[in-house]
Amino acid sequence: MEQDAILSIVLKVVEQANLARVNSQRLEVSPTAPLFGPASPLDSLGLVALLIDIEEAFDQAGHPVTLSDERALSQTRSPFRDIPALVSYLAALTRES
Amino acid sequence: MPRRVLITGTSSGLGQQLAEHYLAGGDVVIGCARRAATIDHPMYAHHLVDVKDEHAIATMLAAIRADHDGLDVLINNAGVAAMNAFALTPPAAMHHIVGTNLLGPMVLTHGAIRLLRKSAAGRIVNVTTVAVPLRLAGETVYAASKAALESFTRGLAKEVGVFGITCNAVGPSLTPTRLTNGLPPAVRARLLSQQAIAREGSAADVANVIDFFLRPESNLVTGQIVYLGGIS
Repeated sequence: MEQDAILSIVLKVVEQANLARVNSQRLEVSPTAPLFGPASPLDSLGLVALLIDIEEAFDQAGHPVTLSDERALSQTRSPFRDIPALVSYLAALTRES
Repeated sequence: MPRRVLITGTSSGLGQQLAEHYLAGGDVVIGCARRAATIDHPMYAHHLVDVKDEHAIATMLAAIRADHDGLDVLINNAGVAAMNAFALTPPAAMHHIVGTNLLGPMVLTHGAIRLLRKSAAGRIVNVTTVAVPLRLAGETVYAASKAALESFTRGLAKEVGVFGITCNAVGPSLTPTRLTNGLPPAVRARLLSQQAIAREGSAADVANVIDFFLRPESNLVTGQIVYLGGIS
């Protein structure tokens, strides 16, 4: 998949997730936004919920992926730490499949 | 709407009886085993799956998503035991027991959470054993694998609560199944003597506990291990 298409799906899911969050806990919706770590309001369980929503969105788009990684909760090395890292990770996954 | 219930190890023993129990109650049951189906029912679908086979698990979960659009209940029942002295247990047997009783349920649950998440009352039930609290000699590897499954149950309960999924375990006491039929009479008698209620259990006793876990009203019951027979 093209990175732009991946980014578009990811940002839509983030926007959707924000609907269920109070103002102070909303996620930044931008191509460079942090997802996990001190700059993000997401805790580890919140990250899991968001990533499963993203899996669901990719499944519906005809590109099933599973977002599991041993570095998932590393604040420095997590492929899910911010939107750019996540989009790159998804681009690699969708290339493999 | 009928619940969508996935049970592992449904070709014989407790798994088959649990499948028949939930089919009789009007649920849709998806079963899997290394052997062919032994249940013929319009609401039953069978998958040939060894729970140690990650690829087979992924294929089954994809089929469940396509056919049923999700799951309401996962019962990790499939298990293997081998009565043996630990010092005489080959490493290959250890891998087989831990792979089937612990890693298989972990891998299956990992995928199934994605299907259970949208259920109004998602439930995970792991089948453990009284061999854990009884610390049975001769069942060391089996009991260790199930003790780890219990730890997994308690920890996972905290991670999936955010999705409204509960995770509990039931530990049958001595029950006549393929797993226990090979036990010598003296061992059976010794096991029963350690129970508060010294009778052999049945699949109905196990189903009774699982039914409690599955009730929508049991949504605050999670991370619990319930043993039958009065063993604790």
